[in-house]
Amino acid sequence: MITNRLKINEAADFLNISVGTLRRWDDNGKLKSLREKEEGHRYYGISQLEEFQLASCVSLARKWTKNKIGVKPNSLFYCSDSSVFQGRLYKLRAALSKNQEIESFFSLLISVVGEIGDNSFAHNLGNWPDIIGIFFAYDVKKKVIVLADRGQGVLATLKRVKPDLDNDSDALHVAFTEVISGRAPESRGNGLKYIREVTENNPISLSFQSGGAEINLKKGRVLKIKKVKDIIRGCLAIIKF
Amino acid sequence: MIIEMKKFGSILSSRQSGKEALAAFSPNINSMSNEEKIYINFDGLDVFSPSWGDEFLTALHKKFGDRLILKGSNNGSVNASIKMLEEANNIKFNIQ
Repeated sequence: MITNRLKINEAADFLNISVGTLRRWDDNGKLKSLREKEEGHRYYGISQLEEFQLASCVSLARKWTKNKIGVKPNSLFYCSDSSVFQGRLYKLRAALSKNQEIESFFSLLISVVGEIGDNSFAHNLGNWPDIIGIFFAYDVKKKVIVLADRGQGVLATLKRVKPDLDNDSDALHVAFTEVISGRAPESRGNGLKYIREVTENNPISLSFQSGGAEINLKKGRVLKIKKVKDIIRGCLAIIKF
Repeated sequence: MIIEMKKFGSILSSRQSGKEALAAFSPNINSMSNEEKIYINFDGLDVFSPSWGDEFLTALHKKFGDRLILKGSNNGSVNASIKMLEEANNIKFNIQ
């Protein structure tokens, strides 16, 4: 008897994919079902599905930001407000605190994650286009952390104080290099510069996409911004350490 | 007066909570004498961020200048955040 199991249609709902996709994944081994008999019904354990989602958190986040129609992410990854995000940041800290390899930059890594998440909430407060809140997931074994929002994006928020900005690449460049904020007249906007400083001096890499542009930051590498084909809604940050 | 940052939490990372911390602590600050100094102690803190620091430390620096004294820390996020706040606000904290 398999306990805590879901039928294939329930599992498909859980993962927000079609039953056909799940069957295909079962057949090709990408996500094997659990069966009591060889020809019996396909079932999936809830913890099995959660682990599968965590393992593919980057592609899930990317898909979530690309979708034209916004839907709330699975509750595993969804931070509906900043207090939920703060709570999960403490969980991340607990999960990473056992890793002695990252001891020398542990506090910097958590602060970078905190800044990115906080930025999403601060710059979209009262102005979320569809889904309020952020996607936040991590895989400690793979050393990857992903944060995403379906907010206004960097260009739209910076245009309020720099009306001449007209593309995502320039907006990202300004955001990561100039002390300026989309929330003027308050003197804000040092979070992304801080992140750049930290990633350029520590073994933490960041890929940050907003709209149709992506910036890549890594120790020892010159700041690089490129246009990307897959335009996203809001921002997508992938941190590796 | 000594302010122990760990009493605000072990992760100080959002503008909102920095603002709330300052508002909550203001009555203590307002009761200080004109000559009294404020010492900021970061011992026991796990994570600090420039957003939180901007709401709390920058605001205190504006009010107290060099009477605000930051005690040295070996926490990477504390030092990187202070450096960023100095550059962003064009100020120099009194660090001892």
